[in-house]
Amino acid sequence: MKNKIIIPILVLLSIIIGGYTAIKKINSSTQNNEFSIKNGNWKINPNMDLKDSYQRAYISRIGVFALDEKEALYFLSSKDNDGNPLRSDFDYQIIGTPPKGRYWSYTLYGEDYFLVKNDANIYTINKENLTKDKPIMVSSTKKDINWLPSGNETKFHITLRVYNPDESVYKNLESLELPTIKKIEK
Amino acid sequence: MSICSYNLTIHYIPNIVYAVFHYKIEKNQNIKDNEIKHFDIPSDQSRNVVMPNPDFLYSTIFYDLSEKDLNINANMPDSTYWSVSFYKPNTINWFVKNDQEFDTNKLDLTLTLNDSKYENVIKSPVKKGFMIIRILVEKKDEKSIESYRTLQKNITIN
Repeated sequence: MKNKIIIPILVLLSIIIGGYTAIKKINSSTQNNEFSIKNGNWKINPNMDLKDSYQRAYISRIGVFALDEKEALYFLSSKDNDGNPLRSDFDYQIIGTPPKGRYWSYTLYGEDYFLVKNDANIYTINKENLTKDKPIMVSSTKKDINWLPSGNETKFHITLRVYNPDESVYKNLESLELPTIKKIEK
Repeated sequence: MSICSYNLTIHYIPNIVYAVFHYKIEKNQNIKDNEIKHFDIPSDQSRNVVMPNPDFLYSTIFYDLSEKDLNINANMPDSTYWSVSFYKPNTINWFVKNDQEFDTNKLDLTLTLNDSKYENVIKSPVKKGFMIIRILVEKKDEKSIESYRTLQKNITIN
């Protein structure tokens, strides 16, 4: 009689523990970008040949409905050049040229990976709204040109997207020269 | 038993993410399978999917081919990036084709479960899945946005 109760409880507990551990593992991998290719402080989406179930679970958490690397590359950074988290109480300059491709953009996301509220409704800098030869300014206060607002986010992420990247780009993700994010005094 | 549950959970996380997304869209947007939904350019109010690209107009369909094939027709833009992509319910992208890979900006596709020799007929590996049409809107002036919105709204499914 005792076994009839204990065994189902143990089975149920095992299922719960297994499921919980799996979700925790993927959440922690998501936070640490474990499956990403690293280049400086940028993390790049891994190969989208998603036969590995860990990688598939990870991608579904950070960027569901992403495209393969020939169609689009997603470079994500949550840190400045010195390795410190990006925070809206500092200003930053993005310096350098995006990798070659048909279209590129920088987009700022909050800690929750959604777009950040700002009065100017500016969420992205691309080649159409970029003033050339001037750095991109990431700041919570208005800037006259190349302004990427960081709102009131304690921490935030910057994503650099490149659509239809050159072959030389997606085949050299680890050694590619990428723009840098430099903290500046306000 | 724990290991089995662990592996199954890892395996099915994408399906769960997809199912939640499907439920949210169906409920919040009042949209059914094989109906197209045109989304405006994402803003800070957009909460359906993480990391939306604010340079894109998205049109989406949860397709179900169990009863009929699906025809997708549109006059797409001729001077900006656009693409058609299909996903399985485990979020795997099994097809993507962009404007430069199509011969024309007149989109005329049939999605089916059957084999076909025609290039514009696409065989889906799954009965049910998801389609996204992306239209790039780099210039954010009202005229550009409106012209792309008009083209987007003319995408038809039958």
